[in-house]
Amino acid sequence: MLNINNWLQANTFHYSQFWDLLRLIKEKEKRGLSISLCIPTLNEEKTIGKEVVLFKSELQDRYPLLDEIAVVESGSTDRTREIAASFGADVYNSADILPDFGFKRGKGENLWKAIYQLQGDIIVYVDADIKNIHPRFVYGLVAPLIHRPEIKYVKAFYDRPLALSNEIRPTGGGRVTEILVRPLFSLFFPELTAIIQPLSGEYAVRREILDRIPFPVGYGVETSHLIDVYSEYGLEAFAQTDLDQRVHRHQETRDLGKMSFGIMRAFFKRLKARGIVTDLPELTSNLRQFQAQENRYEQVIHEIFEEERPPMIEIAAYRKKFGLDQ
Amino acid sequence: MTDMDLEQIIARVNSLVKDLEPYREMLLANVVMIGEIPAPTFGEQERISFLKQRFTECGLHNCSTDELGNGLGVLPGSEGTQTILLAAHADTPFAASEDHAYTINADRISGSGVADNSLSLAVLATLPTILEGLDIRFRNDLLFMGASRSLEQGNQQGLRFLLANSNRPLAAGVSIEGVPLGRLRYRSMASLGGMIACNVNRRVSQKSAIEVLNQIIYQIGCIPLLEESHAGLVLGSVAGGASFKIPARNARLKFQLRSDSDQTLMESKEKVENLLDEVGKEKGVSAHLEVIASTMAGGLDSSHPLVLLTRRVMTTLDLQPRGSIYSATFSPYAEKDIPAVCIGITNGDNVNYPDEYIEIEPILTGVAQLIGILLAIDGGHCVEY
Repeated sequence: MLNINNWLQANTFHYSQFWDLLRLIKEKEKRGLSISLCIPTLNEEKTIGKEVVLFKSELQDRYPLLDEIAVVESGSTDRTREIAASFGADVYNSADILPDFGFKRGKGENLWKAIYQLQGDIIVYVDADIKNIHPRFVYGLVAPLIHRPEIKYVKAFYDRPLALSNEIRPTGGGRVTEILVRPLFSLFFPELTAIIQPLSGEYAVRREILDRIPFPVGYGVETSHLIDVYSEYGLEAFAQTDLDQRVHRHQETRDLGKMSFGIMRAFFKRLKARGIVTDLPELTSNLRQFQAQENRYEQVIHEIFEEERPPMIEIAAYRKKFGLDQ
Repeated sequence: MTDMDLEQIIARVNSLVKDLEPYREMLLANVVMIGEIPAPTFGEQERISFLKQRFTECGLHNCSTDELGNGLGVLPGSEGTQTILLAAHADTPFAASEDHAYTINADRISGSGVADNSLSLAVLATLPTILEGLDIRFRNDLLFMGASRSLEQGNQQGLRFLLANSNRPLAAGVSIEGVPLGRLRYRSMASLGGMIACNVNRRVSQKSAIEVLNQIIYQIGCIPLLEESHAGLVLGSVAGGASFKIPARNARLKFQLRSDSDQTLMESKEKVENLLDEVGKEKGVSAHLEVIASTMAGGLDSSHPLVLLTRRVMTTLDLQPRGSIYSATFSPYAEKDIPAVCIGITNGDNVNYPDEYIEIEPILTGVAQLIGILLAIDGGHCVEY
């Protein structure tokens, strides 16, 4: 079964392997590829300015790796839109893209609509809340796609330790990854455990893959991508790049509970669809958490919908825009 | 170049701010990428290495690091008979362990060291690209320098080393600082940055070292020479003791003495040393002076052509020279009798605190000012006859 070790050897990179951006750009041009950057946002005024300035300056003006820098907005109430536009990003309101399909709140919705709105053969998604943003967050992810045509989906992970000895050290993702996603993958999709940080919000994907997979609009989007792409193309379609460190907001455990709930809904849906689990009951959308007030305890019910958008290729407007019916 | 050429330069400066707009994001990106690399004094290597990489990418010649860790690159002029030095210090007072993440919003960039001195280094890193893009050429060579070991104990070792060892004929120097726009400094005061360390031998005395230090501070303030208008004392920082319940065993003061006369400063220093000798006569108490950094008095007169042309360029851009004419940065130039000015690029505040920030909008005016000054120097307008 497992070709994990071979895959880890061949398809795990460190961003520093791609330091020669001129070479990367030449290869991109040779292969006739275009690349779009999508930054999904919701109230990110503290970090969006730096992301746009760095990517535009370094990866458009100085080294023309990116053909498009787009911020896809979920309806921020702060100055996110204004700041992103002032530094040269194309800013789109998610609700204005494919308006006939309505608007659903969630990061996955922005990622899905970006497939329609953006032009690139490769779309690279980078979260907007990264405090230590750097051009490596983009070139480290697109480089394997440029150099290796058989790779279709590149995930980021963040792992470089400050000191190395010869001792074996554990490596892995965050709390939700290690206590939920990797155990689930171990049980049902063992090869996917090789992806060190399956929930990282930074990844680069070829359009012909993105437009063929459904998109949960909420927390389950990354997990479902991995399962769907793996089921169709196998582990060989994936690569992962170590981007060193990512500094971002710390999330409270209760928020991680909501995330886990959304992930499990998307996960079980896929188990059922593949016939791995057959007699699941109808899954509730209510997550129950509890809080104490003086000596009383009360439950708090969070309604978490994990709706899914269909593969973009099924949308007539998309097929028309990209000439897929001809 | 003729006087007419100076008028042409002034006319060019007027249109420069608009011409610089396409380079704004590149400049801001360099501010962030440089500023997020920690560079405490004596630990600037990684930042200098990045700067040198930028110099190389811009096509500067002789991109290198010297023995003191200065980052250097040369933009060759059409004649290259002389060299104009363009320098910015690369170090900051922030430890490597402190947060160096920057934030950009619509009108300002915030972060440790952004004004002092990431912006200036970013100007160095971007200027070659700007000059090429705007087809601005020089007769003389421009030597770009990210200076190491400048602050506090660094005592401007990097700049001093270059000025002492460069075999290039230097026509003039321009040192740039992030803030404020309107800074025009062309003289250095005689100064002495020092640390007074007080120690109490607990076996002999139960006196608190803080009490001893307090007496010293009071007595330094009473030194007659320091009461003169052209001299001054800065009490920079104090530290000492271990707990509120135990008399401090040690205490230290970092301070600076300044004067526009080397003689006055020397006499003041002697008085401080005499004072410490007196303190040390008390049983179990000792106090020592360690000199951290020093500068000598000197520099240009306000009528020097370099000062006049700098004022002229600033006035053209509606900038009003402001603040002191003195800067410690200037001392190494004064020591070598090289005409130089120190200017600022934009406005900002909270310098050397973690909430340090710079304003984005005035930056291009600051860069236009710099280019104007360089063109005027290149045209031979800073030569004193």
